[in-house]
Parts: sequence; C-alpha cells; structure tokens
Amino acid sequence: MKLKVKLYGTLSCRFSDYQHLQGMEVEIPDGATVQDLLTLLELSESQNAVAIMEGRVLKKPDKIKHGITVNIFQAISGG
Amino acid sequence: MKLIRVNMHKKTVTAESVPEDYKELGGRGLTSTLINREVPPKCDPLGPENKLIFAPGFLSGTPLPNTSRISVGSKSPLTGTIKESNAGGTASRALARLGITAIVVEGQSKQGDLNLLRIDEKGNASLVSAQEYRGMRTYRCTEKIRKTYGEKNSVLCIGPAGEYMLTAASIQSSDVDGHPCRAAARGGLGAVMGSKGLKALIVDQRGKSADTIADPEAFREAVKKVVKIVKDDHMNSEVMPKLGTAGLVAPVNTMGAFPCYNAKKGELDGWEKISGEVMADLIRKRGGKTTHTGCSQCIIHCSNVFVDKGGKYITSSLEYETIWAMGGMTAIADLDTIARLDNLCDDIGVDTMSTGVAIAVAMDAGYRAFGDGKAAIKLVEEIGSCTEIGTILGNGPAATGRYFNNTHVPVIKGQSIAGYDPRAMLGHGVTFSTSPMGADHTAGNVVGEYLEQKLDPLKVEGQVETSRYLQIAMAAFDTMGQCFMANVALLSPEGEEAFRNVISAKTGIRLGPDDFPHDMGIRVLKAEREFNRKAGFTKKDDRLPKFFYEEPLPPHNKVFVISDEEIDSTFDF
Repeated sequence: MKLKVKLYGTLSCRFSDYQHLQGMEVEIPDGATVQDLLTLLELSESQNAVAIMEGRVLKKPDKIKHGITVNIFQAISGG
Repeated sequence: MKLIRVNMHKKTVTAESVPEDYKELGGRGLTSTLINREVPPKCDPLGPENKLIFAPGFLSGTPLPNTSRISVGSKSPLTGTIKESNAGGTASRALARLGITAIVVEGQSKQGDLNLLRIDEKGNASLVSAQEYRGMRTYRCTEKIRKTYGEKNSVLCIGPAGEYMLTAASIQSSDVDGHPCRAAARGGLGAVMGSKGLKALIVDQRGKSADTIADPEAFREAVKKVVKIVKDDHMNSEVMPKLGTAGLVAPVNTMGAFPCYNAKKGELDGWEKISGEVMADLIRKRGGKTTHTGCSQCIIHCSNVFVDKGGKYITSSLEYETIWAMGGMTAIADLDTIARLDNLCDDIGVDTMSTGVAIAVAMDAGYRAFGDGKAAIKLVEEIGSCTEIGTILGNGPAATGRYFNNTHVPVIKGQSIAGYDPRAMLGHGVTFSTSPMGADHTAGNVVGEYLEQKLDPLKVEGQVETSRYLQIAMAAFDTMGQCFMANVALLSPEGEEAFRNVISAKTGIRLGPDDFPHDMGIRVLKAEREFNRKAGFTKKDDRLPKFFYEEPLPPHNKVFVISDEEIDSTFDF
C-alpha cells in the first residue's frame, strides 16, 4: 500500500528532496507495522523515532492503516 | 559564601554568613525555604512584608555545565502562593563566582524612589539611584547599564510592566550576548521587584570567589560522567541544537493536545506554519542562528536568534511555550508576528505565556478576532503604556476573564496553563493542579514520557505517579541551578547517580540514592506546600477550571477524567 509519511525534527535531513509541508509517499506491504516502516526509512533505534497516526502514539508492532498519513517525530521533552 | 540582605526602606545593605541549615541549598530550595521561614504567608505580595530573593543554584559557578539558572523567589502577586521562577542567562554564574549564595531584598522604597542594586567585582553590593531609568524598556535599560558599568556585567531588570506592578510582569535576564531575552517570567515577580522600587540587579561577571570544592579530583571525574550522559542524549545532541523547544509544536499538535482558540481545540489550523521545522528553515534562510548559546556554560545550545526579512535581530530565543501562547491560544499562525510579540513582551517585561493566554481570553470574549496579529501587537503595546486594557491584560488571564465576564479561563491558582491541554495529556492536568506554583510548564512536564511511549496520554493509569516523580525531581534539580534540558537527560538511575557524585564531591559528604533527587525534592515541595497552607490554600485549590471536566476537546473529544481523590494523592507524604 501507498501511504503519506511526514518527517519532523531532524529526520528529514537524509532525504534531499523532502518537502516539509508536503511530506513524502512511501510504498509498504499491506499489514506492515510501524517497525517495518522505520526499517524501510532506515531510521535506527538511536534516532528515537516515534510514529503518530490519527492523534495516537503508536508502538513498534502496531499495524499501519491503509490510506493514513503517518507522522514520525523524535522523542523530546518540554519546558 | 555569603547572603546579602538589602533593605529598600532603610537603603541598607548587609552581608552575613550563610546559616548552617541553608548550606546545602541553592536555587529554588533556598528561595522557597527562606520565603517559608521569613515571609508572613498572608502578607500583601506587593507590600513591604514580602521579600524578593535571587539565588544561584547550589552548583552554579562550578565547572559543571548547564548550571546557569538563577532562581527568583517570593510570594506571588499573581497566584498568592509561594513562587520560584528561574531564568537562564549569565547572572547565576556571576553571583556564585562572587561567593554570593543569595540576595534577599526586603522592605519597600519610599514612593517614587527607584534604584539599581549593583554588585561589583569584589562582591560588594550598593544601591544606586535609577531615576534616569524610570519607565525604560528592558533592552534599552540593559544596554544603558552595560554601557555605564561595563559589558562584563549581567543584568536582571524589569520593564514598565514591573514598575506598574502588573501581576504578569517578568524579570528579564541578560543572555551571553547581553540581550535581556531570558526571563523569570512566571508569577508576576517583576511586579514584586517594582513594588520594592528596584529597577535592576547588576552583577559583575569577573568574580573569583566561587565556593570551594571539597574533592576537586572527584568533582572533575563526576562532571565528565554527567557531561557524557547529557551529550549522549539524543534530544540534547540532535534536536535541541537544531530546533530548540519549538520542536514540540508538531508532536503536540499531532497528538491533539495543543490548546488553541483559548483552549477550545487541541490542534491549531495551520500549525505547520509555526512549527519548529519551519522556524528553523526561516531562520537559516534569513541568516539568523538556529543554534545559539544563550546561557553561561551551556553545552546544549537550544537557543536561536530569530531575525526579520532583512536579517535584523528580533528575539532570542523563540521557544515552544511562547509560540504556543502567542500563536496557538490566539490562533496567530505567523512566526514573524509571534517573534515580534515575544520581543515586545521581553521589552515591556511581561510573561509571554500569561500575556498570550490573556489576549486569547479577550479574543474569546469577542474583544478582537482570533488570528488578528496586528491587534495582538497593539494590545501588548497597550500593556507597555498601561492603558485601561493594557492594565487588564498585564494582570494576566484571570483578571482579563473577570473584566470581560468570560469564565473560560485556563488558569490554576491564577496562573495560566502551559502548552499541553490536560484533556489530551492527562498528566499535565495533575501537574497543573498540584504544583505549589500554580499551573507550570517545568514543574513536572510529562510530554516526553508520552513521546517515549512510557505512558498513554489519554489513560488515567500512571499519570499521578509520573507527575509526582517529575515534580519531585524538578524541585531537586531546580535547587542545583541545572537547566531543564540537562535534567531530562539525567532522569535515570545512572544519571541521578552521576549527578549525586558531583554534589558529593563538592560538599565532601557522600549522598545516598534516596538523598537526591528524592529527599531533596520532597524537602523543597514540603516547604512550598506548607507556605501555601498557611496562606490559606486547601485541596480545593488543586483543581482545574470546570470546563476541563465538562467540555470535550477536539480532536479526541475527551474531558479531564482524573478524580479529585487521585489528584489529592499526588503529594501524599
């Protein structure tokens, strides 16, 4: 399935043609998980990537829904 | 180390040795302990019985990086509670290196009298007339002071809002570049400074009388370990230097927890335009700085320098809470306007958070339209001129709500919430309700726990415990003068042990695992809560405004669901 991925923080740096407001389109197998998506995007554990879909923070084994925008952030704290 | 007392009525300055039972304290721990012991809890915060205390952290002035927070403590005219508000910049290190543990400002100048308090390079304090500084905004005031007394001086000053004793007035702190853009902004401490007749505190940065370190070799080793942990932290090494705290705009909106349109929605229309990512792009294109050192001894560099289209300095630094209050609550999705508002608030000397929320409350009442940036700029200018509406707004959101008969006012104990709606991030509701400071953005900030998936923001389970742990830890780290960003990296058994070793090496007294942050944090919170109790605060004050329990917040359409009993168990000690 095709889905739209938006990258935040410094995660987009490795994708030279990434347009911040548009995001990018990614193709992954049906039933793919958040971990599958992070692997495809070559986002390693140390980058603290966290996926948010429909307002909810997802866990790595969670399956990605068809036709949804996945937002990927780096975990940070506030203050 | 010495404690300086300044009596503004008698115009006397005295120095005394730090009393034995204050010796292991600094920063928030010291200001709160002193306020609890010496200030009558029911006194008028703007009267002569109140005291205003400036205290560097216990580790400020040592070689440990990121220890440049200065705590300012008093009874707050905004909340009526005890208050500690801390700021970055250069003054904390400067004071500590002059061997000064705290400055206690007491009494009140005669009406019409305005003074500067100058601490020279030998650590001697003197009061100087400030008549020529009357009414001066903070940028001009700081520039004139540094021109007169030399650039090797740190400045903590108030603007017109503090002189007018408006209860959202801030105390502005000069950064490494000499700009008064750091602020002890919360709780209206600028009004207390104004009530004392004190325009500015000037501190010479050339001090050489720093506190002794009991075991210098152990201290060096312990510092190395802390520095490694802070630098290895992904947030501090990667995100903060490039986006700063503005990096929170995107995740908090995406999680539906960004209070906007006066906390009636959780996701701002057009929030991408004011995200940290867009801000960083804009700053880069215009030749500003996305990475900037604002505070002495900083190794994180979360600050930035925001410039206009012509590359001219507007403000430093544009941060999450200001973007939220000035852009989210007011629905002004324009970074140039927000940066201008930030600069104006710093210059006039008012809290950007309270001011943004006050404007949003006025907009919600129909006084101006949401999203009207020009109107917001004009309203902040009115605070600087102390017009009728300016006075209302400068006294914060609760005063603004009363004036406009609008009960939809997101304050707890009179102080506005920060940029995390309690209905979509329940743990923030616990912190806002129970912090002795009123609603607060650093007292026990939970957002990182949600992003690290340690906690579900919409489920009750774990929220009270997490808020409790973070509030205790922050009270302890605030006592050390350590900045929030470094603290976050140290909130692990390994980090806490490394930090304890720094304290132990300084004092020569070995700390056990419970001593810090746990016991230290509880000691500080107990003093603060005791003061509040004596001032008349009860459990009933530890509650969010009614609308948080009744009005669902889009997009999750949830209300705040943590029971009063659970809230009351937060500080069950």
